[in-house]
Amino acid sequence: MEDYAGVSERMVKKATALGAQDAVADIYLNRNYQVRFSQNQVDISNKWRNIAGWLFVAVDRRLVFTEINDFSRADKVVENTVKVARRSQENPEYGGIAAGPFRYRASKPDRKITELEDGGDLVQAGIQAAVKAGAKETAGVFWRYDEEHFLHTSGGVSATRRGANLYFSLRALRSLEESGHGVECATRFADFHPERAGEKAGEIAKAVKKPGKGEAGKYDVVFDTLFLGSMIDQIGGRAGAFEVRAGLSPLKDKVGKPIASDIVTLYDDSTANTMGARPFDDEGVPSQRNVIVERGVLKTYLHNTSTAKLFSTRTTANAGLVAPGSNALVLEPGDHTKEELFEQVRDGLYVTNTWYTRYQSYVTGDFSTIPRDGIFRIKNGKIAGSVKDIRLTDNILGLWQRMEALSKETQEVMWWGEVHVPTIVPYGLARQVGFTRSSM
Amino acid sequence: MADRDMADFAVEHAGKQGAQYAEARVENHSTESFILKNGVLDALSVSDDFGIGVRVLVGGSLGFAATNRLTKDEVRATVDDAVRIAKAVKRRTPIEFVQEKAVKADWKVRERKKVADVDIEDKLEAVLQIERELVDTKIPLPARFFQASTNRLKKYFTNSEGSKITSYSPRIRLYYFLTAVKDGDVEQTYRNYGWSGGWEALEEWDALNKVLAEARSLEKSLKEGKKSPEGKWDLICGPQVSGIASHESCGHPTEADRILGREASQAGKSFITPDMIGEKVGSPEVNVCDDPTLKNAIAYYEYDDEGVKARRRYLYKEGKIHEFLQNRETAAKLQTRSNGAARATTYAVEAIPRMANTFVEPKDWSLEEMLEDVKRGIYMKSFMEWNIDDKRYNQKYVGREAYLIEDGEVTAPVRKTVLELTTPAFWSAVDAVGKDLEFEAGFCGKSDPMQALDASMGGPHMRLRDVYLR
Repeated sequence: MEDYAGVSERMVKKATALGAQDAVADIYLNRNYQVRFSQNQVDISNKWRNIAGWLFVAVDRRLVFTEINDFSRADKVVENTVKVARRSQENPEYGGIAAGPFRYRASKPDRKITELEDGGDLVQAGIQAAVKAGAKETAGVFWRYDEEHFLHTSGGVSATRRGANLYFSLRALRSLEESGHGVECATRFADFHPERAGEKAGEIAKAVKKPGKGEAGKYDVVFDTLFLGSMIDQIGGRAGAFEVRAGLSPLKDKVGKPIASDIVTLYDDSTANTMGARPFDDEGVPSQRNVIVERGVLKTYLHNTSTAKLFSTRTTANAGLVAPGSNALVLEPGDHTKEELFEQVRDGLYVTNTWYTRYQSYVTGDFSTIPRDGIFRIKNGKIAGSVKDIRLTDNILGLWQRMEALSKETQEVMWWGEVHVPTIVPYGLARQVGFTRSSM
Repeated sequence: MADRDMADFAVEHAGKQGAQYAEARVENHSTESFILKNGVLDALSVSDDFGIGVRVLVGGSLGFAATNRLTKDEVRATVDDAVRIAKAVKRRTPIEFVQEKAVKADWKVRERKKVADVDIEDKLEAVLQIERELVDTKIPLPARFFQASTNRLKKYFTNSEGSKITSYSPRIRLYYFLTAVKDGDVEQTYRNYGWSGGWEALEEWDALNKVLAEARSLEKSLKEGKKSPEGKWDLICGPQVSGIASHESCGHPTEADRILGREASQAGKSFITPDMIGEKVGSPEVNVCDDPTLKNAIAYYEYDDEGVKARRRYLYKEGKIHEFLQNRETAAKLQTRSNGAARATTYAVEAIPRMANTFVEPKDWSLEEMLEDVKRGIYMKSFMEWNIDDKRYNQKYVGREAYLIEDGEVTAPVRKTVLELTTPAFWSAVDAVGKDLEFEAGFCGKSDPMQALDASMGGPHMRLRDVYLR
């Protein structure tokens, strides 16, 4: 294998020699492997063999990123990048990159994951569990993620990391409107059980049974983990300083203020054992656990070195050099069992998954999202039938302020389009959540 | 071109490894993009991404592999990967591709102002000028966000049936997002423009005047906007609303892979089943098309990513489901022909059925004629919040710029008009379709890995009778 750490270092040295005050180079190897399936059989298997990288330079506060594919042209690419920077516009808000070097905790991917050649049996295990639980049709995806990074910065960082994870997502259907979804995430092969996701999806699908038309109104709601993961994404994913400053977050000017009920404590935590674990951010700053929300109060935005300076604070180790953000979120569990959450609902809903979350105003947090898969009525603490065709229409901060209880039981989830980063999430109970439906 | 040789080699090698069908796409995306946030250039990004994707059909199973290292050894290893992972799968029902003729072609999009000839300083200046004029309006806009990008996309497609197609399609995009405030009240808006061609795009869009008009409408909504009334009203949709409805509740539900369940776990399924061609879904006034061959539209192409010639598709015709968006795999399953809808965002992902430029086909009404017949109604010129369920049946659009219509006249602005109704209810309520036609660009999301693809959507003004609004 080529000396990518050396290439990364040479690019940074060349950029600084040409006049860049700051330079960061990250070369990454993508060895991902994926199997997609539908109708209970595999549609396509995909494999990637990319080696690419990016270079960031700051020349007199003129910032340029470039991607690099062909490392035989690395010198030329660096020269051109610095040249483009000189012709660009100054960013007076730019506050530099982190000064290292740093020490990192050791991390090693599971060899049983990196050496996995064929995910067919794992896919079949998930499908069969779903069918056994009641699914007639399944569709989903198996991923073996395996990425290795070689980072070098003019701030004195020289670091490598390799992360390998397994992920499985399965939607089980008995008909178009009788469906359930389950996911499984693991950093160790021994912890990976796709049949759990299949079984859960199949059980939800089976429980739906000819859903009736849902009614608009305010409901007390028990959220399953995929749905609550999406709602966490709307807080953790909008806590980045970039989103806050671009008008894309309801959290602007709310640090130190209550934004959720006092049972809500949310961490950004790339040190936790999740698929989002990584030893350092894109500047090489060692990962740390950040309290985003503590007992309902917003404690911080997520920063890189530059945005931290704008907010007169310290980096939270969440670079992205343009847009800092979380790689893993953890919602602190509560002290209820899942059953106890249901017992506290006299007349409400149990929602299992959602998609298409959109805002009327990111500043006010007025939004809607569309429950998909099983939506169940709860009456006197028990499931009492299922419904369809309703839309959660509410305010995201209002919803979190009405979060009344969380379960002890948690699950790591991530899901296409809604839960963007691995998130450890309990079940939740919120009161008086707004729902609307098609009028005609 | 050495890269073409690599693609030809990949297909030849796949055949030797036992592939019954093989195709290779070499792509080069030369991009520039930048973000202006509140007048400050956050960063400029330039890249030259290239690589090869190889898809093989072996024993009725599909394998796909991609690499960005175009050496013979690496391409050979990539093909071997694709063949190996395909062979590892045993399907009950073998995948087949419908027969399509081999094509040799070379197509290019013409640039009046070549993207490569415009200095980055000039590109920045064009957007900075909009930003400066926006600030000069003194409208309170505390968050202003612009993103501009160019992509000079070169492709070479070849397959084991003898197709060899080269293409060049430069694409320009401008996105902006504005936040206006007044006394603690907030209105937000975004717009997305797209163009296949050269840097003349900015003039063609008339971007400066459009952004300024949008800012003034934000201010007007905040100053004069009243709560939108509730009840059954006539509704006139502007082109932006016609466009999003055509994309969400016509284009998506007619994607054949979705109908067949291949997207069920991600972007979902469809209320449409394979046997519903000819079924009524709207009024006879409604024709919704998807057309990759519209000159200068962001999703312009002449051949799709399976080498099939592009053409206009009537998805809903005279209010009935008319045609699905097909690639060669779905067409074989549904015993029809591909209609050239196979698209992929990059060389590194498979091509699947996608929309290109989706729109309500114009008819002969002017906006004034539509208004004349409306005693009381709402003119929803644009929207902010929208979504639709994953079977594409229950949709919602919340007005951004909207006005009351009283006795045929557009009067006071109203805020946050909500239209929430089913797909048949939406299209069945249409009684008049305008003769104008406008498009906006978007990124259409589907597949896993997520393929956020260049698309556009549009339409004329359109009148819906007696729909429930709140």
